[in-house]
Amino acid sequence: MNNGEILAVRGLNASYGEAKVLFDCDLDIQPGQVVTCVGRNGAGKTTLLKNIAGILKPTSGSITFNDRNLIGMMSYNIAKMGLKYIPQDKKVFSDLTVRENLELGSYATKDYNWDQVTDYFPRLKQLMDRKAGYLSGGERQMLMIGRALLGAPKVLLIDEPTEGLAPGIVEHLKNVFKELSKKTALVIVEQNLPLVCAISDKIYAMKEGRIVAEIKDGESIKAGICEQYL
Amino acid sequence: MMNVFRWWRGILLAFFLLGLIRVFSPLPFAIEILIFSIYVIGCNFLLGRVGFISFGQPAYLAVGAYSTAFYLFYFGTNPYIGLLFGILGGLVVTVLVGPFFVRLRSDYFALVNLALAVIVFYLMEKVLAGITHGDNGLWFLTRMTSTPVLDISKPSEFFIFAFLVALAVWAFYKYLDDSVYGACCLATKINEDKLKFLGYDNFSIRLLAFVIANTTTALAGSLYAVYFGFVSPEMSSHSRCADPVVVTILGGVGTLYGPIVGSIVYTGMKDLISGVVGNWELLIGFLLVFIMLAGEKGIWGTLEPLLKKAFSRKGVLANLQDSGEKGR
Amino acid sequence: MMDGQLLISGVIFGLSIGSIFFLMAIGLSLCFGLMRIISLDQLLYYSVGAYITYSISLVTGSMWLGALGGLVVAGVVSFAVERLIYMRIYERDITFTMITSFGILIGGVGVIKFIWGLVPRPVPIPMVTQINILGTDVPVYRLIVVVISLLVYAGIWLFLNRTIIGKAIRAGTENVEHVEGLGINVYRLFTITFIIAGTLSGLAGGLHAPLIMVDPQMGLHVLAFVFMVVIIGGLGSIKGTLISAFLVGQVVSIGSLIYAPLAQMAPFAIMLLILLIRPTGLYGSKLLKR
Repeated sequence: MNNGEILAVRGLNASYGEAKVLFDCDLDIQPGQVVTCVGRNGAGKTTLLKNIAGILKPTSGSITFNDRNLIGMMSYNIAKMGLKYIPQDKKVFSDLTVRENLELGSYATKDYNWDQVTDYFPRLKQLMDRKAGYLSGGERQMLMIGRALLGAPKVLLIDEPTEGLAPGIVEHLKNVFKELSKKTALVIVEQNLPLVCAISDKIYAMKEGRIVAEIKDGESIKAGICEQYL
Repeated sequence: MMNVFRWWRGILLAFFLLGLIRVFSPLPFAIEILIFSIYVIGCNFLLGRVGFISFGQPAYLAVGAYSTAFYLFYFGTNPYIGLLFGILGGLVVTVLVGPFFVRLRSDYFALVNLALAVIVFYLMEKVLAGITHGDNGLWFLTRMTSTPVLDISKPSEFFIFAFLVALAVWAFYKYLDDSVYGACCLATKINEDKLKFLGYDNFSIRLLAFVIANTTTALAGSLYAVYFGFVSPEMSSHSRCADPVVVTILGGVGTLYGPIVGSIVYTGMKDLISGVVGNWELLIGFLLVFIMLAGEKGIWGTLEPLLKKAFSRKGVLANLQDSGEKGR
Repeated sequence: MMDGQLLISGVIFGLSIGSIFFLMAIGLSLCFGLMRIISLDQLLYYSVGAYITYSISLVTGSMWLGALGGLVVAGVVSFAVERLIYMRIYERDITFTMITSFGILIGGVGVIKFIWGLVPRPVPIPMVTQINILGTDVPVYRLIVVVISLLVYAGIWLFLNRTIIGKAIRAGTENVEHVEGLGINVYRLFTITFIIAGTLSGLAGGLHAPLIMVDPQMGLHVLAFVFMVVIIGGLGSIKGTLISAFLVGQVVSIGSLIYAPLAQMAPFAIMLLILLIRPTGLYGSKLLKR
């Protein structure tokens, strides 16, 4: 394979019990790229991310990250290696303060440099001692991304980051993603088309568990050609 | 007509085989198996169909046994009426505690039932010692009068009676499994929210299941009482709380014939091993852990697909199998 | 009317028995909170703790040394069980782990019978001194038991709120997947929690041993009370467990002063009442699924 991909997924099949939900999915991402997955609800986008992150176990296929095979690895080890999954449920540890949430991120990665987080999300600085349960949806998303940033991950898998957030925060996240992509490859599942068109280097369109289109061409991306798959 | 036969033949075959046990083994063993399997089917139904695990089955067993015993010891002499009292007692108690219990999550349900068993034990041993005679128990073997047609005060005829009761119980549970209600039970286990959206009431489905299952258990208790002519708090002691759960697991959770297979194996092993080792708990415990780690399908759960394969052409066991399939 | 002296000694008795319940229930509660298992085998570690206390105090003559040994052995046994059995079944349904843990409990009781026999064993009380509280003589040992359990509560509180592993456990109580997603080895957290639970159960057994006879079924004797404590307090809550342990302790003790059978029945009635109002106990979490 090695064409400089940081993450390469080949022929991934997955099922929930009897029901097959992913069919021969291929996905590539190079360092510094932003790749988005679009598709309707139930197309298998979240399942794809969870399989890559090791939370679900695929039935067949290969996942190579940084030249290492991820199949069969525990998900916390995958996260430790620098491939982190940020789920869409926006469930921060609500009983813990923002500081404690970040401490846990640091504990896992031994990276105590919080400036990199607060540079992206200055808002978190003022909220340090507040219980995360009292944060707004946008602040929670900032915290979720923020605590995943510790340990300089190489790939972030972000599931519907802007779902249910105010337009101002979406705009802020857009800029953050652009900034982030300089250091970290991003795989983002997203339904917000303008955002997708603005940040993507490559778009995968999914339908019924298959990747039905791969849009690499910058012009097509800008033109919003992926709209037909939503 | 053909359908009726199809429906019955699994049960009839199973009970024909059970009847053979009577021929090849001593009577007490055969009776023990019959009563024990009735005892277990309630637990099996709760765990396999509704998803409720109960470590407190001995409580309901004791309720049935003591209801029968009170009647036979203090009031009457007819064992049939005693059995009716046992069922009635079970029904009353389950209807009383059921509404409290079935609202609970399955984990709390298990713990509360276990607590109930302990409470019933104390009730019978200490609190109501005035009428239960505490640890000495109630003896009424000689008080039972002979009954016409089938004299169940005699062990040999009691066997026939217990056999018929068990047959009826199995037919009843098979009917339940096949009915819409059985499907609803399974649905509450799998996804209660979706069932709610379909317009069914989880609470009443569970309550009915709870009442049915534990009244069956009470029936087993009163059968024990009539058979032994004696009851003591020992039957609800906490060291026996695991028995029905173990046998349910051993036989195969949610299968129709699991309780029978489990009871045969369990009772057989108990007789064999406790004679040799005397340390029965050790074995049950490790057996339970082993079955759970080995895949929790139980004996019948494992045998069933094999039998299905072997008999698939002849279709002899078609009815034996269908029950298990729905359990998954 | 009840005698004042009787009442005071009743309260102390209730506090001490509540402390024992607390030490055992806290393990169950922690395990449920983090791993979503109901570890009935905690009652086995309680018995192990008590038996080791018996054996060591028989040899060395010191019950305190025995309790220490009991605590350590219980911790080791729980570690072994966790590694050998629980590691394989954490992913499974809660009823599944509960049945398995019941198997471990029953099997373990069999092992205890095998090693120590069926005869109940006495453990001498380490201190027979009594102190005078409001005109009543109260055994010092019972007070020490209460103090130890309060220290354990404080220790657990500090552990959960001040150490990073404790914070991770609290976070895991809310959502294990997210903790794992950060790159933390949750199975190590599980092991740590399980050992803490087993050790505390062992400590409970050791401290309880001089107050009762040590016999193979002892775990099953306290089982109903411990579950009532856990259910009333709410699975997964440390604070709820403490409150309900002392509540149940008092009900058992004061209840038995009024009318002996109340000792067993009253906690059960309270449990039913509380479940009627709050099906998840006083401080129980409403979440079952991760």
